[in-house]
Amino acid sequence: MTTVQVLSGNQAAAIGAKLCRPDVIAAYPITPQTPIVEHLAQMAADGELTASLCEVESEHSALSVLQGAALTGCRTFTATSSQGLSLMYEPYFRTPTLRLPIVMVIVNREMISPQTVWGGPQDSLTLRDAGWVQLYVEDNQEILDTVIQAFRIAEDRRVLLPVNVCYDGFYLSHMTERVDVPDQSDVDDYLPSSYEPEHILLDPERPMSVDPLTPGALLTEYRRKQVLAMSRAAQVIKEADASFGRKFGRHWGGPVSAYRLADAEFALVTLGSMTGAARVAVDEARDRGVPVGLVKVRSVRPWPATELFRLLKDLRGFGVVDRNVSFGWGTGIIHQELRATLSDLGRPVPSVAFVGGLGGEDLTVDLMTKAVRTVVEASRRGGTATCPTVWLSGGRGR
Amino acid sequence: MNFIDYLAEREDVLSPGISACVGCNVELTLRTVLKVLGANTILAIPPGCMGGVGVVGWKRTTGTRCPVFFPLLDNTASMLAGIRLGCERKGREVNVVAFAGDGASVDCGFQALSGAAERGERIIYICYDNEGYMNTGFQRSGSTAKGSWTSTTPVGPARGGKAQRKKDFPMIMAMHDLPYVATASPGFLADLVGKVRKAAEVRDGMAYIHVLNPCVNGWGFPPDRSLEVARLSVLTRYYPLFEVERGRFRLTRDVPKPRPLREFVGSLRKFAHLTEESVADMQAEAEMRWARLKALCGAAGGPDEGDGGKVGGG
Repeated sequence: MTTVQVLSGNQAAAIGAKLCRPDVIAAYPITPQTPIVEHLAQMAADGELTASLCEVESEHSALSVLQGAALTGCRTFTATSSQGLSLMYEPYFRTPTLRLPIVMVIVNREMISPQTVWGGPQDSLTLRDAGWVQLYVEDNQEILDTVIQAFRIAEDRRVLLPVNVCYDGFYLSHMTERVDVPDQSDVDDYLPSSYEPEHILLDPERPMSVDPLTPGALLTEYRRKQVLAMSRAAQVIKEADASFGRKFGRHWGGPVSAYRLADAEFALVTLGSMTGAARVAVDEARDRGVPVGLVKVRSVRPWPATELFRLLKDLRGFGVVDRNVSFGWGTGIIHQELRATLSDLGRPVPSVAFVGGLGGEDLTVDLMTKAVRTVVEASRRGGTATCPTVWLSGGRGR
Repeated sequence: MNFIDYLAEREDVLSPGISACVGCNVELTLRTVLKVLGANTILAIPPGCMGGVGVVGWKRTTGTRCPVFFPLLDNTASMLAGIRLGCERKGREVNVVAFAGDGASVDCGFQALSGAAERGERIIYICYDNEGYMNTGFQRSGSTAKGSWTSTTPVGPARGGKAQRKKDFPMIMAMHDLPYVATASPGFLADLVGKVRKAAEVRDGMAYIHVLNPCVNGWGFPPDRSLEVARLSVLTRYYPLFEVERGRFRLTRDVPKPRPLREFVGSLRKFAHLTEESVADMQAEAEMRWARLKALCGAAGGPDEGDGGKVGGG
């Protein structure tokens, strides 16, 4: 049984977290994440949420409180955005290195400057190498479902890493959609009842020295094990999604999701909420006879290199629409990750780097259609070299 | 019971093999604190001297019989707040304790500490104040005394040590209206023991104890004078011993006839460059802070009579 509700993305995230029965929640409000904190506080006030809430004075402390709670064996949840994530960076990097399975929603918001509060994953993508599993989702149902899956992935003994569930600010956080809310009893069946750590714990009955000074060779061993855990997460993400599908009748494709790709010669690659507009543009192009498909990346960490190679290797060309910038490369971040994937595996398929939707600018169907056209034209010109970054923008700012 | 007999009966929770500097009175302070609190303690040792000397351990070893960990330099109070919440969820009654240097408390750790204090987190927070970042070679902190040489406030023809005053941190914590705030000194161990016991009894918020720990190497005095310098800091009124129980200020050791501050300052290499005028300024500052404290103690704030050598009670 489920109940159908009309929920904003932030409501979906808060309800998803509640259904996972966390022990401790600590969060500091920041636009556009703020309503999550308000929803959770209201749930606690209404007696619907049994977690201990800690009304911290900063994001740095929010994650630090959760680290302390997780070190005593608690299931924990928090959420943040952009500048809050930046302030959190110090404990952020340390959460996976301590192997603490904390779940944190990141309501993606553009990084300043220029001053902005609107959506875009520059915040979390910039931190993609800090050791968290990072999952990016497209709509509010996927938010709720992925938060539930995130606890299962994080606490799996093959993984024991923290998980981010990332979604675009405002486009999802503040927009409402139909969401099926699962019954508590079904979520209880899907998730273990509690997090029971053995690898790292602060308890006087089992005294442990946590994180003593560590020489390089031993640190290297820890790092290698952390890297292996991230690799194993790829399989666990698939299993968690498949198991979720069997339980709730919905699954999201695990690390990647493909659309109309089986007979495609071209593809767009997307991340997050822009995928909806891209899907419409693909349908319209198909109506015009253009053989184009779509690849939605869900898991940025671990990076699903094998799956992406399989999906993209035989295409005549693809374009990556990045709502972010890699300043060193001059393209988007996902584009570079894909170039590395295909080159490493010996198949440099021609590709076009698009950057757009920055500062929350709308990535419209028209812009996605332009992206499809650009990919097709570039591929017909031949060659494997990447053309200069194409900026997708309404252009009124210029 | 005499406090020495009391301590002799208590379990030593700290390893005998801690590699602190010769004459270090911080090790004595930590050993004493842990003897009072016992092994049913979760101990946070942020980066600093006690982390550097192996209290959290090295490789696969540990420095304590109780659970111990490194928080970050700036999140000690927040991590402990989470640990307290977690222990409550798990039904475990445990001492949740910070033993943090002045850098980790009065400087970059202050935001987390102030936030936890305001929220009433049930933490015993002990700051060992050696007036600088001593583990890494004596850099300036907000708790360094005015005029003091440090490696980042060196003395030369153009500059003469730290230009600003020492932050009056115990007073700042007292203004958070905590259930218990105290200052203590390794030179007055019975007083320290009594205050730690009181801190352990607090159930409804933070207990904060500030300990001034003269640093042999950073301050520049012979190891065998370690406790003497600590005592001088109190007996010159440079560092008053007081406690604040639920808003009630009380001197725990009155100093009716203070020794001249010159005796304290003159014994320390870090102040060797100070002029008579600078020492007079320090004396005036100490007297101002003493007078402010006395005013807060008010009529009811007299010293405890006859507690010398006894274990302080509630």
